[in-house]
Amino acid sequence: MSTVVSAPAQLKRTGLPMPLIIIGSLLLVFVCLFPFWWMGLSSIKTLRELYTIPPIWWPTMPTLDNYQKVLFESNIPRYFLNSVVVSVGSTVLALILAIFASYGFARFNFRGKPILQSFVLVGQLLPTAAIIVPLFITLRVLGLVNTYWGLILVYMILTLPLSVWMLTSYFKAIPVELEEAAIIDGASRIGVLFRITLPLSVPGLVSVLVYAFVTTWNEFIFALCFATDSSVKTLPIGLAEFSTEFNTDWGAVMAASMVMTLPIAILFLSMQRLFVGGMTAGATKG
Amino acid sequence: MHRQSTGYLFVLPALLVLGLLIAYPVAYTGLLSVTDNQGNYVGVENFARILGARATPTAFVNTLWWVFGSIVFQVILGVLAAILLNQNFRGRAIVRSVTLIPWVVPGIVAATTWAWMLHTEFGIINYMLTAPGIVPEPVGWLTNGSTVLPVMIAINIWKMFPFVAIMVLAGLQSIPNDLYEAARIDGASFWEEVWYVMLPQVRPVIIAVTLLLVIWALNHITIIYAITRGGPANRTLITPIQIFRTAFESVQFNQAAALSVMFFAVAIVVVFVYIRTLASNAGEAR
Repeated sequence: MSTVVSAPAQLKRTGLPMPLIIIGSLLLVFVCLFPFWWMGLSSIKTLRELYTIPPIWWPTMPTLDNYQKVLFESNIPRYFLNSVVVSVGSTVLALILAIFASYGFARFNFRGKPILQSFVLVGQLLPTAAIIVPLFITLRVLGLVNTYWGLILVYMILTLPLSVWMLTSYFKAIPVELEEAAIIDGASRIGVLFRITLPLSVPGLVSVLVYAFVTTWNEFIFALCFATDSSVKTLPIGLAEFSTEFNTDWGAVMAASMVMTLPIAILFLSMQRLFVGGMTAGATKG
Repeated sequence: MHRQSTGYLFVLPALLVLGLLIAYPVAYTGLLSVTDNQGNYVGVENFARILGARATPTAFVNTLWWVFGSIVFQVILGVLAAILLNQNFRGRAIVRSVTLIPWVVPGIVAATTWAWMLHTEFGIINYMLTAPGIVPEPVGWLTNGSTVLPVMIAINIWKMFPFVAIMVLAGLQSIPNDLYEAARIDGASFWEEVWYVMLPQVRPVIIAVTLLLVIWALNHITIIYAITRGGPANRTLITPIQIFRTAFESVQFNQAAALSVMFFAVAIVVVFVYIRTLASNAGEAR
């Protein structure tokens, strides 16, 4: 067995050659970031500099006019507020429902559980285009078209199934013995859930929150169908109509894109470790 | 018995919401597809009409191109990126974060930014290609019938390959070290390690992700809808967009429902294969 001990010295650590790693990384970073770099540059260019051939790589007189137009002369701030209300509302509601459902799936055995769990998964995989029409009719009957509640409710389709799925696998990983001990000490089921299980699942809860918020913040097609009044329109719709409203003033469109991307980028980059951990754990454990 | 009923109570609220938002609309779509505007039963007339429409076969073929074109490259690029990001090098954490950005930003932002970069006269991409003489004159990427669908597919690849990369990366990280050591003792080169150790080990992840990508390609219509709405001359019309336009632009709810039913049937087959594959993978792993 002496060969094994000396093995690290003999066996060369294999890997990609360094030049390939460097070229690959540079290429990857360039492909992923260039569009945002160009978006940022375009957003601080004057109209004349935007429409010049050849394009100008660095604006000679950077301007904030485009941002001023977006922030003070358009509906974008209102849409931003709408987006916040809808995203926060649907995220919180999905989280509350998902906590209870996941706990039920993770800790109880009842008849029909596999079928109900599959139903939740199918909900996640459902083609949204196929149910837009009946959803629209349902919302109209309920009087929820063009209301915050309508969008919040509809976004449950996008956020609830995956939240339940992720949290269930998270709860299952927590030892049952902890909860049994508390129950023997006289705690109720709900007490156990809130005092023991939830505090132990904070990383899982955060990844569900980030996932749900990002999904609803970015959503386009449902918002396009169910929010046609400017009092409830969300940012993606605002951005889409911005390109026609100003006869595609590209500087302003790029500024609006920046305004919309920034909150998501900050949220994501600050939560990245937890988020990616939760996503991949949910996916590999199923 | 007591435990059973408590379990139901926990999962009930979430299931009610999903039932209202998914089960009911799906059933209602079925009803709409076999009735006319006044709700009279008309048999398969809606199906015959929508199948007879000139746009339907076009949309079907485009959808196949869109799904397969997107997925093949998303998986190849995603796996390559994952292998790169699994190497040890300085700055790896930053490259990993940057790689995720295209996936996190709103689809509508990706759409507008790429539309600006692909602008025929003032777009940076045409400039990059014409300046060194790669193409003789600016290409009308979004107006030319033969380039517009490949361009849409390329944007979709850019948007989604990071997801494949992060999932495959998680798979690569969970490969036990013994396997690499064994390969190295046998004198395997890096590429042999990739081929005989890494790829076989992450195969289940790749399969699961691929099926998810199929469903997402059918679901995520934001990029196409925001840039071209299916034009020019239906060259980028895919079935979900056709459903959307039939319902909300032509106001033919019943024909849209008939198309939804067929679309839904295909999607259900994909979902079924997905669940079966996941289940058999889980079986193999344990």
